[in-house]
Amino acid sequence: MSTLQRPTSPPAAPPSATDALRVAIIGNPNTGKTTLFNALTGLRQHVGNFAGVTVERVEGAFKGPDGRRVTVLDLPGSYSLSAGSPDERIALEVLLGRSADRWRPDVVLVVVDAVHLERNLFLTSQVIELGLPVVVALNQIDAAQTEGIRFDIPELIHELGVPIVPTVAKRGEGLEPLKRALLTAATLPAPTRAFALPAQAQAALAPLEACLVADGLLPVAAGMEALRLLGIQHREVHLADVNGLGEAVSTASTALREAGFVPARFESEVRYAWIAQVIDRTVTRPLVGAANLSDKIDRFALHRVWGPLIFLVLMALVFQSVFSWATPLMDGIEALIALAGGAVGARLPEGDLRSLIVDGVFAGVGSVLVFLPQIAILFAFIGLLEHSGYMARAAFLMDRVMRRVGLHGKSFIPMLSGYACAVPGIMATRTIEDPKDRLATIMVVPLMSCSARLPVYTLLIGAFVPPIVLVPGLTLQGATMLIMYLLGTVVALGVAAIFKRTLLKGPVRPMILELPPYRWPSLKSLGVSVVQRCQLFLQRAGTVILSLSIVLWAMATYPKATLDPALPEAARQEQQLEYSVLGRIGHGIEPLVRPLGYDWKIGVSIAASFAAREVFVSTMGTIYGVGGDADDGDAALTQRLVSEKDPVTGKPVYTPLIAVSLMVFYVFALMCISTTAVTVREAGGGRIGWQWATLQFVYMLALAYGAAWLVYVIGQALGFGG
Amino acid sequence: MAPVIALPTLQFADSAASSTCSLNSCRAGTRVTVVDIECSGDEACRLRALGFCEGTSVNVIDARDAMLLEVRGTRLALGAALTAGITVRPFQARA
Repeated sequence: MSTLQRPTSPPAAPPSATDALRVAIIGNPNTGKTTLFNALTGLRQHVGNFAGVTVERVEGAFKGPDGRRVTVLDLPGSYSLSAGSPDERIALEVLLGRSADRWRPDVVLVVVDAVHLERNLFLTSQVIELGLPVVVALNQIDAAQTEGIRFDIPELIHELGVPIVPTVAKRGEGLEPLKRALLTAATLPAPTRAFALPAQAQAALAPLEACLVADGLLPVAAGMEALRLLGIQHREVHLADVNGLGEAVSTASTALREAGFVPARFESEVRYAWIAQVIDRTVTRPLVGAANLSDKIDRFALHRVWGPLIFLVLMALVFQSVFSWATPLMDGIEALIALAGGAVGARLPEGDLRSLIVDGVFAGVGSVLVFLPQIAILFAFIGLLEHSGYMARAAFLMDRVMRRVGLHGKSFIPMLSGYACAVPGIMATRTIEDPKDRLATIMVVPLMSCSARLPVYTLLIGAFVPPIVLVPGLTLQGATMLIMYLLGTVVALGVAAIFKRTLLKGPVRPMILELPPYRWPSLKSLGVSVVQRCQLFLQRAGTVILSLSIVLWAMATYPKATLDPALPEAARQEQQLEYSVLGRIGHGIEPLVRPLGYDWKIGVSIAASFAAREVFVSTMGTIYGVGGDADDGDAALTQRLVSEKDPVTGKPVYTPLIAVSLMVFYVFALMCISTTAVTVREAGGGRIGWQWATLQFVYMLALAYGAAWLVYVIGQALGFGG
Repeated sequence: MAPVIALPTLQFADSAASSTCSLNSCRAGTRVTVVDIECSGDEACRLRALGFCEGTSVNVIDARDAMLLEVRGTRLALGAALTAGITVRPFQARA
């Protein structure tokens, strides 16, 4: 077995035919790696985290042609194994069998982009030298053919010494040969370095390699690691914890320099020199490449004037679609839930149980479930931008803006992901190498309006903003939504600038960004990732929100008030609500929210949503479900809000001004237990992590309260009080 | 036995040192050869892994605050702080 264990540990048993074959997929970003992974495994995927870190770990499985089960691990996209970022470090650790969860691949599948084979072969050559069985998927071969690039595949196999399978992942082409190659790869001789170093260089490196072999690395892997160690800056971040390694590296560097080489450049020079030979022998491309389609698109998409304009229009389109396309689906879901709740309710006897099921469970979970279409559409758009290659252009365009606040373009992608959910957004900051830049980005990602705020915005906009057409294709409702998103974004940039100038002072790391060619995204792969995100959302709706809904229902129902039967039904329910635990809490909070113009019911909903902001909507649902008239029990919540009157003055409780002030509150407030948990871990864990997470929560709450108050006060002064 | 790799590096040692300039002074449309990368080790390491190393030919596609470059058939965007520290030798100037 070609493993990389220390000699002291017991030898691993060879995999028998009944064991699952473990395959790790690695590749440069934008090679279609995840598309290939999705094509191989379909929806049989499990999303988690690598043990101890929050790099997303996606594992899937498929059945091989011989019936053998194959589990596949999708490693983070990496340009090299030089471990510059936490993502790359994880990839290297897994490949060496040294990750915290001890998962070790039997076969490594390297996905390379046929169009950019030259650059992709750098990582490939590093992986080959790990000594594990390797299969290369020459992906996007169709795009290469379109550009007139031809490959001598048998010669390429000869040069690399590993099986190579041409694939078009997004159309599922080449999957069967690829599966067969994966299953037989382990029976082939272990691959080795495909080139030899100059003799003096080899001699200079020999002691360092011996030192690594003594630590348990295979000789071939020691060769790879030795080259890698010469080039990397942080030698403490290496995998072999050998005594005297630092000295061995210094000695090797000196010897190499004496032999006439530059140690820091050495690995890239030898690998790219070898790659140049391989490309020369195996690839023919047309002499004069016409300006390709991507360049033509970029002339507009990256234009100084048109570029930002196109970006803005695209964003407006996304938010308008999220709002308008989802409406019929949401109406459908709403109707279904009402129908289901009614049907179940009809079979139950009148009383608390029926109230629990209908008003607690169905109303609570239902009012969150209804936002699934919007979340799906938003994730579909974000996936589309990412898979098509536009996301990197957005980062390039935003680099100037981001630099002004002290961050760089790379911080923009996590922030954009924050539009969908702060949790993956914060996790995406792992691609930012500088710890201070990372921390500053983490601190502001939750200011980006995430999908959980959509329920709040939608409810309030739907109820209080009229659908006036501003320009064809954009209504006042869509524009209000856009403004909420812009508000969060602008403030996020401002806060980042403050952090970078105070607590997280430091130089701005320069941008290094690949702009991948534009590609048609794979609909299947897009679908898989949208379903994955929806499942994660539903798990939350199904657990946290369901339990909170039941607790809230109980708090709104008990203790029971003794009511005057002579009063009308609505007044009795109102009194019961005020008498309940929830009502008392609401009245307790009222002095705090009164300056913002909110009544105790809004106060209750805000208090209830501290763990998850979308609970605001389900709490309103629960309050009005419980407090409402039995006859119009399934009238939409929006209708209830519009018609809600102050029992004393008879004026509407909810004015458009209060709706806007509430939305502004939710733009800024961090009310999401998952975000806090992820911040704790990503900001360093332990006490330091908690300190940053606490600071994040407190500054955002202060911002929310202050801004909502300002909106209310200024709005009233301008006469929008209603 | 695998072939020994011949390194093209040392050829540049002193050739045409007078005609070098920093990458950020190059205009769009210029084709250049990278002579020296001077920046933090981390960034240099990443640039080299991306195929942007000493001896590589690079096309300048767009030069504004940040630069858009063609490197080994891929498009790389590099920030101004980096391009100032990279020494190149222009092949020709189209403009």
